[in-house]
Amino acid sequence: MSAPPIVVPAVAGMGRPATSVPRTPLTGPLARRNPTLKLALLFVVSAGLVFILDPVTPAVLYLLAAAAVVATARIRTRTLLLAQLPFVAFGAGLLVVNALSRPGEILWEAGILRVSVEGLVIGGSLALRTLVIGILSVAFALTTEPVSLMTSLHQHARLGARLTYAILAGYRMLQEMPREWVTIRQAHAVRAPLRSDGTLPRGVGALARAAFSLLVVSVRKGERMAQSLESRGLGLSPRSTWRPVPLVAADWVMVGGVLVVLVGVFVISAQLGFLEGPAALFG
Amino acid sequence: MSTPLSPAPNRANNTANNRTKANPFAWTLKDLVLLVVLGVVFGFLYWVFVQAWTALSILMGPAGDLAQHFLLGAWLIVAPIAVAIVRRPFAGVMAEVIASVIEVVFLGSAVGPLLFVAAALQGAGSELPFALTRYRNYSWLTYALSGLLGAGFVFFYSAFRSGWYGQDLFLIRLAIQLVSGVILGGLLAKLIVDGLVKTGVVDNFAIGRARLGDDHASR
Repeated sequence: MSAPPIVVPAVAGMGRPATSVPRTPLTGPLARRNPTLKLALLFVVSAGLVFILDPVTPAVLYLLAAAAVVATARIRTRTLLLAQLPFVAFGAGLLVVNALSRPGEILWEAGILRVSVEGLVIGGSLALRTLVIGILSVAFALTTEPVSLMTSLHQHARLGARLTYAILAGYRMLQEMPREWVTIRQAHAVRAPLRSDGTLPRGVGALARAAFSLLVVSVRKGERMAQSLESRGLGLSPRSTWRPVPLVAADWVMVGGVLVVLVGVFVISAQLGFLEGPAALFG
Repeated sequence: MSTPLSPAPNRANNTANNRTKANPFAWTLKDLVLLVVLGVVFGFLYWVFVQAWTALSILMGPAGDLAQHFLLGAWLIVAPIAVAIVRRPFAGVMAEVIASVIEVVFLGSAVGPLLFVAAALQGAGSELPFALTRYRNYSWLTYALSGLLGAGFVFFYSAFRSGWYGQDLFLIRLAIQLVSGVILGGLLAKLIVDGLVKTGVVDNFAIGRARLGDDHASR
């Protein structure tokens, strides 16, 4: 997996997992849409983009996606811009690497460095693709409440009750994990030989020990969690859902709208001769 | 819970038998939760360590693109650990996919839902060597192969997704990722599993039943 692996959803410092503070209530049309369908759309758009290797198509899609997000997501402009910084940096890296390392028609050369036209085109395409998926992922993350996403997956995507609630229990665990981490570090600090300036050892070894403790504590906690879920009969019978997530006509309108725009852009781009498929990679 | 010797394995076997009659692929809740816990812990640790790493790789600019391959193996580690502890078919694939769900849904991973595809491929690659031994062999070699195949499977997908085909760096990327897979995604997993066994927290899972059952038989 090569994209910047985890983006802190850019909001509020450490983002969701760090704080158990309730997040600001989500408003705006996008936040009211069904989470399962949003996730499915994000998947379809991302997967479709993977097969596009010209810079024009993703550039158009980026503008459309940005307009749609600004219009429907009600995310503060500053938050939205900051959240895209990692994607811009990563995209710039992609552009430079491809420009320098792709053989083809030479545009500029100095010593062992050479920039090829093909490299710039493909690098630009990959960078813009990163931006499109980036802004959509950010909008998804900022307008989707994880618990209602899991509930909705259970209701609308037939995710089994046991798996759904196991993952939700895991989410709770994740929220407590920063505190658990601090506790473990403090427990180690009580006994660890301090460094000469009186601070905690911070080397790789100390962190690895804390990480291993975290794993052990969590496995133990998980076993208790499984027992308590099982002793309450989870998954034995059909269950009702607390706070069911609605799935309404407007959700299908969103799905239709996004798919029409996506396919429309692909078709128009192909007719104008801009569209390039994966064959571009092999020159 | 912590009575490792006689009662626990029996009880576990009973529940397992009851389940197998209904559906051979039904999982016990305990095993499912373990997969989730592994996903959560490693998701959290990746997230902690990756903060620094992302900053570093952005600072390194284009070199960062290459440098991050060295850590690729770390993404594979959940699968062999899960397989070794739970010892059932699809444990590795499920563990990876659950971990990716946690990263995408709860930690807001930048890759988006395409991560599910990569995770399934990694899990399949990492699990294959164990599956070929019918979940019986847990030697260093099996772990190493697990890391190698996990990295190998996902490489061709990543290469397509990130446009590495046709770059001069293609083989260098492949080599770095395979080595990283063997070390971080294979051998390190064995160290961690052995460490977990020593602590006794996994005694009530298949790995503990196998070990304690052997002890029992040899007496």
